[in-house]
Amino acid sequence: MNATNTPMDYLPIVMMFLVAFGFVATTMFLTHKLGPKRKTKIKLESFECGIHSEGNARLPFSVKYFLVAILFVLFDVEVIFMYPWAVNFKDLGLPGIIEVFSFIILLLVGFYYLLAKKALRWED
Amino acid sequence: MKGLFIISGLGILAMLAEIFKFKKILYPLVLVGILAAYAMTFVDWNPPTDHLSRLDELTASFSNMIRFDQVALAFSGVILVTAFFWFILASHYFENETNITDHFALVLFALVGALMLTSFSNMTTLFLGVEILSIPMYVLAASRKKDIASNEAGFKYLIMGSFASGFLLFGIALVYGATGTFDLGGISHYISNSHGDVPAFFYAGVIMMLIALCFKVSAAPFHFWAPDVYEGSPTVITALMSTVVKTAAFAALMRLFNVGFHHIGDVWGQIMAVVIGLSLVISNITAASQQSVKRMLAYSSISHAAFMLMGVLANKNGFDSISSILYYSLAYSVGSIASFTVLYNVSKDNNGHIEAFNGLSKRNPFLAVCMVVALLSLAGIPVTAGFFAKYFIFTTLIGTPYKWLLGVAVVTSAIGAYYYFKVLIAMYFKPAISTEPVKVEMSHTVLLIITTLFTLAIGIVPGYIIGIFK
Amino acid sequence: MLGYTITQWLFGILSFLAIMFALMVVFTRNPINSVLYLVLTFFCIAGHYLLLNAQFLAVVHIVVYAGAIMVLFLFVIMLMNLNQDTEPQKTVISKVVAAIAGGLLLFVMVGALRGSEQLQIKQYGHSDIGLVKNLGNVLFHDFLFPFEIASVLLLAAMVGAIMIGKKEIK
Repeated sequence: MNATNTPMDYLPIVMMFLVAFGFVATTMFLTHKLGPKRKTKIKLESFECGIHSEGNARLPFSVKYFLVAILFVLFDVEVIFMYPWAVNFKDLGLPGIIEVFSFIILLLVGFYYLLAKKALRWED
Repeated sequence: MKGLFIISGLGILAMLAEIFKFKKILYPLVLVGILAAYAMTFVDWNPPTDHLSRLDELTASFSNMIRFDQVALAFSGVILVTAFFWFILASHYFENETNITDHFALVLFALVGALMLTSFSNMTTLFLGVEILSIPMYVLAASRKKDIASNEAGFKYLIMGSFASGFLLFGIALVYGATGTFDLGGISHYISNSHGDVPAFFYAGVIMMLIALCFKVSAAPFHFWAPDVYEGSPTVITALMSTVVKTAAFAALMRLFNVGFHHIGDVWGQIMAVVIGLSLVISNITAASQQSVKRMLAYSSISHAAFMLMGVLANKNGFDSISSILYYSLAYSVGSIASFTVLYNVSKDNNGHIEAFNGLSKRNPFLAVCMVVALLSLAGIPVTAGFFAKYFIFTTLIGTPYKWLLGVAVVTSAIGAYYYFKVLIAMYFKPAISTEPVKVEMSHTVLLIITTLFTLAIGIVPGYIIGIFK
Repeated sequence: MLGYTITQWLFGILSFLAIMFALMVVFTRNPINSVLYLVLTFFCIAGHYLLLNAQFLAVVHIVVYAGAIMVLFLFVIMLMNLNQDTEPQKTVISKVVAAIAGGLLLFVMVGALRGSEQLQIKQYGHSDIGLVKNLGNVLFHDFLFPFEIASVLLLAAMVGAIMIGKKEIK
């Protein structure tokens, strides 16, 4: 009942990666070679929606983004724990469900706490 | 075990208190919960051996991840008593803060980590305990968002603490690589079976874990974070750090090295002896020149860490040295809580400069007397608990090859007495800045009476705690 | 090929890349580039996990570390407004001390691990423990307590993040 595997079983995945990267690399290379190029000073200027850009792109931005991101990581870690459970769902049976649900319920309490604290609301 | 569940549940309740609007009853609830958890240590003290139900068997150890044996229960008891005192100290502190309930939740979660550290019997629970204890402390250290010193404290603590966690993980990985187990008993078994034929990287792992835990107990030369963090954090949080966190980290270090790595005591013993010597010398000499009482207490906590490490070093046979470490941590925690309570009442502006103590005997004689008892206990002057604490530690060390540490300890303790007396002199012989009496909250008065009596009581009858494991 | 198996070749290439990218993390001046090199390092380490037959760890490493945590790193760098090379110059003495400390650590690690290739390979457990299915079995039986208590750790982090990051509502 123990699953087995060898490193060589990942060969299809490696092939898929190679094909994906190869395709992207070739198309990028070909379009650069095949397309016509007329470089002028105005054409090479960076712009957004036709408006000239001003100042520096590296402006410090609001800490709210960071809060959302860190909460995302926390729940990301929570979800990671569910994969081993899902794969073993049948073997673990009812005890497994109880174990995982107690974990999830604890974190749902946390989620409720976030909602009630308005941590996910953008406006203060 | 039951205590751990109670504290975890309390933490989750505290999170929800503001949302479900039972903020008012949260404080008494927490006090009752901690007392209940404390009572559970007595319930678990003598486990029923004849008929264990299946649930008990499951929760008793969780496949030997965590083991509440008598040593663990005793240290949990110390931590819970200290936490109870701490909550009384903190009663009025958070009243002007907006998110009181979050503070409560974080402190309770830190307590969960502390209890895990007293009782782990597997490296995974050790690491999780360290993290559960540390992460709330990082946040609490930085909890005064507008105060730059508090921000600095939190930031420094986080960076240095993560570094120490990295060392701990690296050490665990190397030890696992050699032994193939995370289990403390398994590691000890592996060492005794291999008869010295242990790969070199195993020792590297042990030393890395020693470094990480010495960081957590703030022993020199891994102490550089301690003074800044202690000074920058809000006074009440500093009190928590120097009592609960320290005792927990100590219990962990003791458990790891006296249970897991017991058989290679000669290897880590020499390193630990150097750490102890350095801690004693550096802390006591630096503390003597401090102007801030808070900073001075930080350095004094480093020297107390050295004394408790002596107990770990001396622990060769049986419970003698464990009970003296227990006694030391109790005496130290109670003395620290008392001195931080006085400091909090005397120096409201959070920097704890020694001038704030000038003429305290005139402004509030009660506070001054309590501070005298607390400081005498920390300095180790007879009749107080601190004297016997040091005495028991010294007696355990006598039979070991590390007797030279006693000389260092005695000399540096004499230097240590100087800076404790500096505060006493300020309180009794320096003219006061203002004649206005210092007001003390009723709850703090009660707390100070209890801690002072406690310090004197366990100093007069130390046998109750020393003989606890017999 | 030259007497090495494919696995050994892969190990060599991945190790070379991992060490090279790790060095680039330290040597690039621009912090954003450092983070991107760190992502590449993580990918190489995930490759190592695959070679060790630890597929779950490899995927988690890419999803959580290279994906989520590195985004956090980038956010922090952007929060901090590191426009020009505002990094304060370190003094010579601190550089020397850092080099000595790092060098000693390297020395100890190399010294400790040298000779360990001659050790008998002891097989603890089985080599397929890293597969999701086997890992789940262990996680939900032996390591149940750490798993459940990890939720307390996540909750503590959540409360901490809210307390530090959220503007206080009066």
